[in-house]
Amino acid sequence: MQALHDEGVELIFGYPGGAALHIYDAIFRQDKIDHILVRHEQGATHAADGYSRATGKPGVVLVTSGPGATNAITGIATAFMDSIPMVVISGQVASHLIGTDAFQETDMIGVSRPIVKHSYTVFNAEEIPKIIKEAFYVATSGRPGPVVIDIPKDMTAPDNLFDYSYPEEAKIRSYNPPIEPEQNQIDRAVEAILISKKPVIYAGGGAIASNAEKELLELNEIIDAPVTNTLMGLGIYPASHHRFLGMLGMHGTYQANMAMHNADLIIAVGARFDDRITNKPSKFAPNAKVVHLDVDHSSVSKIIEANVAVFGQVKNSLKLIKETLEKKLDSYDPFALQPWHDQIKEWKSLHGLNYELYKDESDDHPILPQAVVQHVHEITNGKAYVTSDVGQHQMFAAQYYHFDKPRRWINSGGLGTMGFGLPAAMGVKLAFPKDEVVCITGEGSIQMCIQELSTCLQYNLPIKIININNEALGMVKQWQDMNYGGRHSESTYQNSLPDFIKLAESYGHVGIKITKNSDLSKGLKKAFEMKDRLVFVDIYVDPSEHVYPMQVANGSLENMWLSKDEQT
Amino acid sequence: MIKRKLILIMENKPGALVRVVGLFHQRGYNIETLHVDSVKDFSTYKDIEKKLETKFEDNQISRLTIETMVSDDLMRQILRQLNKLIDVIAVSNEETTYLKGVLLDENLL
Repeated sequence: MQALHDEGVELIFGYPGGAALHIYDAIFRQDKIDHILVRHEQGATHAADGYSRATGKPGVVLVTSGPGATNAITGIATAFMDSIPMVVISGQVASHLIGTDAFQETDMIGVSRPIVKHSYTVFNAEEIPKIIKEAFYVATSGRPGPVVIDIPKDMTAPDNLFDYSYPEEAKIRSYNPPIEPEQNQIDRAVEAILISKKPVIYAGGGAIASNAEKELLELNEIIDAPVTNTLMGLGIYPASHHRFLGMLGMHGTYQANMAMHNADLIIAVGARFDDRITNKPSKFAPNAKVVHLDVDHSSVSKIIEANVAVFGQVKNSLKLIKETLEKKLDSYDPFALQPWHDQIKEWKSLHGLNYELYKDESDDHPILPQAVVQHVHEITNGKAYVTSDVGQHQMFAAQYYHFDKPRRWINSGGLGTMGFGLPAAMGVKLAFPKDEVVCITGEGSIQMCIQELSTCLQYNLPIKIININNEALGMVKQWQDMNYGGRHSESTYQNSLPDFIKLAESYGHVGIKITKNSDLSKGLKKAFEMKDRLVFVDIYVDPSEHVYPMQVANGSLENMWLSKDEQT
Repeated sequence: MIKRKLILIMENKPGALVRVVGLFHQRGYNIETLHVDSVKDFSTYKDIEKKLETKFEDNQISRLTIETMVSDDLMRQILRQLNKLIDVIAVSNEETTYLKGVLLDENLL
């Protein structure tokens, strides 16, 4: 505990149990670090993850051995896929019992190995300060990620005393993440930018991890290129900026996907050409040169070959590119991009998302899920922290809630973890108690971590839960509609949903049910007026609605479904 | 696909070997042969010691030789993934060496 305090930890999410009891007793006997008792270890990892995504600081989790540790696995995998810094401390059975199938024994290091950046086992109590120092350094530096520390119970026994000192810095000779890019790489990137007539900046979660918001904006003041963000990158470039194209990829906007497909230069900033972005890699952006800025060597040229690779913290790389470009401004003509901007303007006007739809409040049609997100955006002035779960509601939120700042959009992008939204919102609310925190979820996802409503009561976390209820696993159903002849195999619940209003009330919260379009706006306003209460808004939406645009499988980026019967 | 050899040196720490072997399985690569030694003679690694500003000591370092069937592109990806493991100090395919994030056009192993 002293080592965690010395590391600057203020908040831990956890759940006690046998092998962690010595540590829990130490928590009881100190008052510097707050501990949040969740209701399931998965909730602890997602909450720490949400805290980390919103603040940029590492999330810290404490669980016991065996089931405590294995319950944390989904949350660790979620953080790993999205490169979120997290330190997970798991209790372990006493050293002399390891390997004997002791009560609540699991090989946590083995189980978690493929989904951690690194892991440690404590063999001597004296090593604890050094290991904790190293764990935080590894978790937060380079490409961030989760680190597990497995501590056998006897290592934390109160009679196991040693001379304590906390190391000032961690130095690991076999770990040396790149920070400053090399100038020759920068020069080549600048050359590519100078000759490009159709550039696109494609920024992802790595740009957020590197806090490169200002550098990206400043660089593009010179280049003046259109910018698209990945699902993980939303907010790194202001959505209200006139050069912003929206999200790209599987459910990206028409203009973003068209721009990427037709570009002659793609400047990838902390993005990894994931399969939700590229569609079929061999058909991806056929005429584009790729300049790839990343901190992780293994992400570059993994899926799409990069013509220029710039290794380093993308914040630093962007800054250096800008400085180098400034010296060559006389050979750069931003007006040369005008035909490209005209083309993009035309794409925007052809198939933009339908932004006006939500203003129709008549009861002639059911509530549209997109309209729910737009109302939430309007009521919160676009300034809320929005967490989400996974499915149609997640895509609607990403498309229709326009983020002007990074770290406001908190979702499980890589792993796609249902159940993420509510616990993540707890982590965000604890970090920013004065800000509005909204969890946009669906009736499927919310039931995967619904027990955390109890945690919200214990710590008084007035989150707003917007349950976009279509009485089905919407995204699964959409795929079944499109690819399986409408056979809804196991994607509906046949009237077995709980009464969410009573459920919320039984946890001591407020529930509001909205079924009519004409009640949508006022119902939501009422929910957001209750500043100090958690409000669960259960909104029954059109169950037949699909998410569009959607890429056509095995096509290029320009092959999209634009509606149920319209294809590019 | 041809059989290729790669050599790596890593910290002799508990769990280090399983991270390397596990990575092959996790990323879908296959190991044909695997040989592990504890390094006793450090004279070969003087350059690495100099570049990392460190001194290797007895029982600290293991040397792995792995043969695998892969294409060129995949070989590069394997090298980069192995280089990313925290306990791995350097990895080489006999032509180039990844030494903790730095690519060198020579075989240092």
